[in-house]
Amino acid sequence: MKPEIGAELAPYRIESVDPDTMKAWAPILRDPNPIHLNRDAVRAAGLGDRRINQGPINLAYIVTMLHRAFPGAFIEDIRNRFTDNAYEGESLEARATVTGAEDVGGRTRITLDFTLNSDERAAVISGSAALLLPETTPS
Amino acid sequence: MAFVPLPDVVGTSLAGKGMTISETENRALCESVGDVPAADGTAHPVWFYVASQVGMGPSVAEMCAICDFDVNDGPMMASTGGHFHAPLMVGQRYEVTGEITGLTRKQSRKLGVMDLLEYKLHLDLPDGTRVCSVDNAWVLPRGRDDEA
Repeated sequence: MKPEIGAELAPYRIESVDPDTMKAWAPILRDPNPIHLNRDAVRAAGLGDRRINQGPINLAYIVTMLHRAFPGAFIEDIRNRFTDNAYEGESLEARATVTGAEDVGGRTRITLDFTLNSDERAAVISGSAALLLPETTPS
Repeated sequence: MAFVPLPDVVGTSLAGKGMTISETENRALCESVGDVPAADGTAHPVWFYVASQVGMGPSVAEMCAICDFDVNDGPMMASTGGHFHAPLMVGQRYEVTGEITGLTRKQSRKLGVMDLLEYKLHLDLPDGTRVCSVDNAWVLPRGRDDEA
């Protein structure tokens, strides 16, 4: 069934940003930036007292929400601005709203606007995505 | 004391060694964010960023150095975007090409003087078939006028 424009996806909630996830992603990203690993480095950079989640982790939370809402969909395009940092221990919530839906060769392409919001502050990332939904089997 | 002059880096090639997305790293990445690795070998989409970044020529530290910026001064991602012609696959080798497309000095209320570094990368199959194109922008904070 084609999603309605304006429909909101089920949010994906992260109860507490885990510094162990930052530690696990550092070698995956081959990125030694100390603001993700060392509180002293965050203080020295004038960015607060808590380690800062790597940006791609925040985007991956969005993808988790999209995958749960549309299993098997092909993400054709996804882009976002990093508007703020997400810090260790914070609670975050990914949300998205359907902005468009069209038929493409028997499949449905939908577009969405998304945000990842911190309970403490405003959105830490915002962006848009286009997904090609899997073919539906006629019943 | 003045800020370091803005270097002329637009057009600098970022072509590199490429990357193969490993099953182990894909699984670790998926599970760390509450996702499930795809059974058909499709890699997590956020690899568009990771694989292009890891497989480009310079490291993050080296790319910062090209821009006369010390990675220990805390570069920050401003934006990223991936456009896919096909899904990325676990176990598939991707070649990485690309270049720096912009380095612009700006004034930020929060950060003081900063440079906005923009670059474009591509993930291609070894036969040259384009799979994904990536647009990235990073903020390189230079400090405040009264600190310079």
